[in-house]
This record gives sequence, C-alpha cells and structure tokens, in this order.
Amino acid sequence: MTRILCSNGSSLTRRSMLGLLGAAPAAASLTSIGLGASRAWAATGQLNIYSWPDYFSTADLDAYAKKTGVTPNISTYDSDDTMFAKVNSPAGSGFDIVIPGSSWIKQLAAKGLLEEIDHSKLDLGSLDPHLLNRDYDPGNKYSIPKDWGLLGVIYNPEAVGGEIKTWEDFFQAGEKPGVSGKIRMSDSGWETIGPELWLEGKDWNTVGEADIRKAAERLKSFAKHVKSFSGLDVNSLANGAIVLAQTNQAKARAAIGLNPKLKWVVPGPMSELWVDNYVLIKDAPNLEQAYDFLAFQLRPEIQLAETEYIGFPAPLAGLREKLGADVKDADLIFGGKDVDFSKLTSFVVNPETVGFYSQLQTEIQAAAG
Amino acid sequence: MMVERSYRGDWRDHAIDSGLVVWYLAAVIFLFAPIIAAIVYSFNLGVVNKQTAVLTGWTWQWYPAAWHDLSLRRAVSASLVVSFWSALISIVMGTLLGYAIVRHPSSKVRRFLAGFTYMLLIVPESVIGVSLLLFFAVTRFALNTVTLVAGITPMAIAVVALVIRARVLTLDREVEEAAADLGSTRVATLWLVILPQLAPAVAVGGVMAYTFSFDNLVVSAFLTTARINTLPVYLYGSLQYGPSPAVYAAAAAVFLFTMLLLALAVLIYWITRRPAAA
Amino acid sequence: MTADHSILSKPAGGKLAVGRFSLRAGSISDHILAGIPTIWLTVFFLAPLGFTVVFSFGRSTFGGVELGFTLNNYATALSGFYGAAFLRTLLFAATASGLCLLVAFPVAYFIARHTSRFRLLAITLVLIPYFSSFLIRVMSLTMLMSREGLLEKVLNTLHLHAGPLDLLDTQTAVFIGIVYAYLPIAVVPLVVVLDRIPKALTEASRDLGATRWETFLLVTLPLSRPGIATAIMLTAVPMLGEMVIPKLLGGSRGVLMGQALSSQYLQSQNYPLGSAMAVLVLLGVAVIVGLLAWITKGFAEVGR
Repeated sequence: MTRILCSNGSSLTRRSMLGLLGAAPAAASLTSIGLGASRAWAATGQLNIYSWPDYFSTADLDAYAKKTGVTPNISTYDSDDTMFAKVNSPAGSGFDIVIPGSSWIKQLAAKGLLEEIDHSKLDLGSLDPHLLNRDYDPGNKYSIPKDWGLLGVIYNPEAVGGEIKTWEDFFQAGEKPGVSGKIRMSDSGWETIGPELWLEGKDWNTVGEADIRKAAERLKSFAKHVKSFSGLDVNSLANGAIVLAQTNQAKARAAIGLNPKLKWVVPGPMSELWVDNYVLIKDAPNLEQAYDFLAFQLRPEIQLAETEYIGFPAPLAGLREKLGADVKDADLIFGGKDVDFSKLTSFVVNPETVGFYSQLQTEIQAAAG
Repeated sequence: MMVERSYRGDWRDHAIDSGLVVWYLAAVIFLFAPIIAAIVYSFNLGVVNKQTAVLTGWTWQWYPAAWHDLSLRRAVSASLVVSFWSALISIVMGTLLGYAIVRHPSSKVRRFLAGFTYMLLIVPESVIGVSLLLFFAVTRFALNTVTLVAGITPMAIAVVALVIRARVLTLDREVEEAAADLGSTRVATLWLVILPQLAPAVAVGGVMAYTFSFDNLVVSAFLTTARINTLPVYLYGSLQYGPSPAVYAAAAAVFLFTMLLLALAVLIYWITRRPAAA
Repeated sequence: MTADHSILSKPAGGKLAVGRFSLRAGSISDHILAGIPTIWLTVFFLAPLGFTVVFSFGRSTFGGVELGFTLNNYATALSGFYGAAFLRTLLFAATASGLCLLVAFPVAYFIARHTSRFRLLAITLVLIPYFSSFLIRVMSLTMLMSREGLLEKVLNTLHLHAGPLDLLDTQTAVFIGIVYAYLPIAVVPLVVVLDRIPKALTEASRDLGATRWETFLLVTLPLSRPGIATAIMLTAVPMLGEMVIPKLLGGSRGVLMGQALSSQYLQSQNYPLGSAMAVLVLLGVAVIVGLLAWITKGFAEVGR
C-alpha cells in the first residue's frame, strides 16, 4: 500500500482516495510522483504521538526530553473510534506513534496504515508473555503492548445482597429493587452484549448477526434497570448513586479508595482483556525517533513509573513484585490476586459485525430511557 | 442595580421590578456556580491522581502539574490562538452576512442568504466534521491550523450573523437612506452610519463567536492534527479514564488569564474614552 | 421616531434611485458585501456538505465510501427506529428551547429595560462564565448535582428536598445542563432587540391605562419578535445535534439524533448511512424552519 505524498508535506492514504474517487488510472500516475522523497524529512528531532490524554507520566516525558532533547508532541482523542477515523484519513498523517486499543489493530493493519515493527530494534524480553502474541496481533507484528485492563464488575455487596461471581449473577442482581436503576453499563456494543454471548458459550469475535441480535434482546429488556451508559464516575460509586457497574480495574481501584466497602470481580465464564498498544504509522516522518522512544518506554523502571502514574499495569513481567509497598490496593491494579488469563478474550473489530454491535448498542440505550 | 422608570409605579410594579432583580441575580449565580466550583476543585487532592466530587484534601500541586503536562499546555495555547482567529474571521463575515440578510436590495438574495445561514446551524457538527475531513482529503488541502480555524468558522459566522440581523432589523432605515440621498456610497454608509449603531451587537456577537470557537468540540475533534490539538478535545478525551484535577487547574488558569485580558481591554477603552467624555 | 414615509415614497423592493448610486437590486458593493461571506462559506461548508450528499448514495467500505447510486442508506435511515429517534429529538429540542427562553427572557428584559448605567456590567456578568471552558463547567455541574454535592446540601437546608439527590443521569439533569449551556445564546439576541424598543412606547401604553402585563403582551412582546425568533433558531436547532450534555448529564439514556449520527460515522464507520441520516435531518429541519418562517412571515421584520 502506498501513500501519495504532496509537495507541501501532507499525505493521503491512497486506498481511501481510491475508495473516494474510484479513480484507479489517476492514482496510478500519481504514485509515480513522490515515493522516493518520503524519507527526505525524517530526522527532524520531533515525535508526534496520538493517544488518550494524560496517558504518559510527565516525569518520564521530561526524562526523555533531557536525554534526547526531543519532547514528544502528544495529540489526543476521546475514543478509539475517533482514533480510527482520524488515522484512516489525511488528518492521520504526521503521527509517528498511535496508541490504539487492541480491538482496532487488525483493521488498522488491514487498511495498510501500520508500519511493521522491526523486532531487531526493540527488546521485548522484559514483557510478560501472557500479553504478547495474542489473537488481536499474532507475533506482535504491528503492536507492542503499553498497558492493559480488564472488564469487570464493581458492586456494593450490601445493596446487591451477596456476591457476584458470574455475569448471570450480574443480571440477576440488576433486577433487584435497590439495585435496579443504579446500574452502569458500557457504551460500546460489544462490552454490553458480550456478557450475554459468553453466558451462551459464544465467542464474540466469531458470532454472526443472528446470534448478536438474539443476545441483544436480553440486554434490551435489562436496559430499563440501567442508569447510565456514559463513562463511569467513581464518585457515583462512592456515594451510592451507582451500586453495580461494568468497568475497568483502575476505576474500581479509585472507587474502592473512596469507599472500601465496594467489591470488584472479573465475572465468569469469560470476560474481556483489552490492551492499549504502541503502533507505528506507515511512512511516519520520525520513525527512528519513534523506535528510540519505544526502547525508552520499554525500560523496566519506566514501565514501573508509568504504572504508578496512570493506574493501569504495564506489561512488564514481574511487575507486581516490583511495585512499592506504599502503593495502595496494588493488587487491584492487576484486577485482583487471581486473574485467570485463560478466561479472558480480546475483542477484534470485524467490519461485518461491528455495525450490528453499535446499532444494537444504540437500541439498548434507547430502551433504557 | 438602579431600576429606572419615568412614571410612578404602584406596589405591583415594585414587586415585578424586585422579582426581575432576583431572577437576574439567581441566573448570574446559576451561571457562575460551576466555574467557581471548578476553581475550588482545582485545589482538590483527588484520589490516585483523579478528580473526585468530595474534597479529599487541599493542594497546589495541580497547577505546576498542568504546566508540566506539555500536551495540556499546548492544547490550551492552541485553543486560544484558534479561537482568536476564528472569532476575528467570524465577526467580519458574520457582520457582512447579517447585514446583507436584511439590507440587500434583491429579496431573492436575502431569502437565499437567510436560508443559507439557517442551514449553517441545522447541520449537526459531526456531519460537518466528517464532510470537512473527507473534503480536505479529496481536494488535498493540507490539514493544519488554517483548516481547523476554517472548519469552526461556519457555525460561528451563523451565530454572529443572526445576532447582527436581529439588531439591523431594529435600525432606522431612514438614516441610511438619508445618507444615500446625501451621496454616500454603500460601503461608506455601512462604515460610518450603520456600524457604529451595530457596535454593541458586533461586540456581543464577537464574544459569542469567541466562546463558541474556544469550546468547539465535535468539529475540532475531526480536524485536529499531529501538530495541533485543542483544549476541549483534550478534556473530552480525559473523561474516558477520568480527569485529573490538573485539567481543572488549566481551565481555571485560562479563565483567569482571559479575565485579565478583558479587564485590560476595558481599562484601555476607559482611558481612551475619558478625554472625549471630558 | 416613527417618521412619515410620504416624503420618500418607495415600494417594498426598495427601488430608489438617488444620488451617486442606485438602490436597485444589483449594486456592485452590495454584491461584494454579500459575496465575501458567501464564498467563504461555500468553500468551507457547502462544498463539504455536497460531498456528504454524494456519499449518502454510496456504499460503505468500513471507513471509506464506494461511490455509486443506491437508496439503501435512505431506506435504513427512514426506518422506524431512526424515525422515532428523530421525532423524540425534535420534541426534546423544542422543550429545551422553550425552557431556555422562559429563563432567558426575564434576564434579558431586566438587562435591556432596567439597567442603563450598569448595562455593560449586567450583560458582562452573564457572559463572563462563558470565557471558561464549557466542558469543565459541565463537569463541575455534574459534581454540584451529584449526591452529597452542593445542590443537595442547599436543597436540604431550604427544606425543598429531603435525603439524597438523585439528579444525575436523568432527563431533568439534561434539561438543567442544556438551559445552562444555551442561556447566554438566548439572552443576547433578546437583549439586542429589547434594547431598541423605545421607552416612549411602553410609557405611552402605561399612560393610556394599560397594565404592566398588558403592555408587555401587546407592545413589548410583539416588538421583540425578531429577537425571539433568533433566540429560538440559535437554541432549538443546535440542540438537535446535541450529544455532549445528554452523555455527561443524562447517562446516554434514550437516543437523540446527534448520538445516533455520530455512532454511524465513528463506531460503525459507515459514512454513507451517516450521510443519508444527515441529509434527512437537514431536510426535515429545513422544512420545519421554513414552516416556522412562513407562519411568522419570515420572522417578521419590525416594520417601520
């Protein structure tokens, strides 16, 4: 896949342009123009990153700047979908490193937007093998894990009247008075419908439309108990406005920090493991700098510092032991003491089905209010 | 607040007048409460670096933290620059448009312009954002600060145009015609006769254009690039994992900074007006 | 003030040839003045929108568009679910806009008619909060309205409410947030217009024996029609695309057009369907606005 480079430095994804214009002959003549010129503006002493806000420890960025004189320029997005839309468009040009969630890596690669990672330049030896070579990117061809999270449930055991061990418990608890109307569920279709699919023993990456719709039915009737699908505010958990919520372990940790009575669980039979990754954008203007930055970020002491800053665990092997004793609720950073990785699955966006997931999410949200 | 009437009212009038004062003050309190809360919360300790609704402790750390977060700092400065330019362009274009909607001699043109302006507000921002993105893709405009500013202007222009329009509708047409009778050109009439009368509306329209541009989220989210990111986009993204009090500190700092600038502008205005008044 | 028109008789079209230039439809400077914003907007608004219309007939390639001609997108967009969402959004915007105007009018009236020396201060006070980031203010509003937040404490103290306040993630919270967000946008056009209503008129009305309320209904209100119309346009219409406040304050419950559209573009990466929905929304709202304009006779000009 090639990129057409214009003299003013912007670049267009050829595939998207072809898609837009359906003009194969025109594009063919244009490719002959500037490919050789692509590396002319490589080492400019800059680094452009596209990430969630506040996702890198400022101390570490300062350390990197001191060491190399390069301060990474971080632009932000508010959701993985926006990230994909931007990277898949000319607005995505100029980025060197992007931090996508694991769900989108396959599609980014399919659109030819990613640069294959040259493993000879980076040492992944310090990373936990559980987090490498996963379904969403076999062999880590395109991505290097940055941090990871789990989809779990945080709840108030008193209000719920018991323990929650499976997603069935979750649904049952949701219908009880005192819990109904105080539930938060995810705003992404697959995280909402996923639990029902798992209870039916299905794999959310391989199901077809019919199964997804069937599972969504239960969610639609459950929706009337749900208070919010928006981002979970830990304060609501702390003050009892929400007593049962689907969320990630870092939010749970913050909530328990405010209200120690709350409990966290990763429900069976399955749940989600998501990983935020570093990927390199094809024809990135500062590729060498990007590798240098990644090597820096992979250092064990940096991974440790990042974990403490953002609250999500870096993929460093043996990280749990390395965390200082003064870190509150350290186990929660990892989702608890005994997280079974074999019961975790990562979602991979499939163009055939993702439309149904998001359409049904809209319908579920409509059913709620 | 002095309540002025040129006729003597009875107790009912007094009641209504007091009611209006109370309503106004209540509205002002309502409008100010969140920004004051934001300033207070910028000193909140929070929990594990995230903001909390309950005040868990008092700290100054978030202000230097916000300063050191380069991404946040750059987003703030970019927002200020972008909204300044967007406001400037929108004021000029919006005033011209608002005036033309009312005063253009051809009624067909007036209707067209009016419909056009309404359309600017009708189209949802996500549609504008995506279509601009795709438009720039096909026409090969390089995406940068200029395209970001340009993308925000249409809606800001509409806001200014409608405010100006409302004001122009109340202007006395005869004054313009008198000017025309006396041989003035259209442009001169606009500049010397109408603009001074429109000045308050232009000022207020400008303020609205500025605040609209500064707070613009949806279109900006599509048009920000590797080199330019804006504050609302940053803030909205921070909602996913929970904002830290640093963003509150940044917002409070920007607010105070803007207030200072405004106060300065008012001061300058006051000083330059004094000699004329005297 | 209300002058005699007999000296300069002119038909509605304003055809009057006097002095150095003619006021006939077609003076060069008129065209240039109107042309500058039109050209700018055509490039940065109309042309991109044209692309949207073209794409609405295309086929989705997950993040791209394959040009063609198909009406499938429109068929889906017109389906029951989206139709209901559109209607619900219309109702929502109308209600919220009405509420906003109800709150804004007394404020604008006060500023325009009861403050002359402090006029600038009065209107500045209303506008100052808007110089801070909107999202931060909405986030702060969330904290104020949450349980054990300030609002709950105030209401409990005033005995207007007892116990925990469960205001967040409800429709009420969304309306509060929307009124909060759009208040100055509604106040400003009203002030601009109310300000120009001559005091002499209201005084004359009082002198002739009308009560305060009658004066308001029969003199002030009709004269402020352009302001009201502008205020409605500036609030109701953008409210149709509102998605941030329903998400932050309303828990994303129920579905409004803004969210439905955005999810087509971003989550489903289905640009053609999103474009078809956008075109339909545009047409629908244009029809409604056109109807309103026809009913109020072009948002009636204050005749002179």
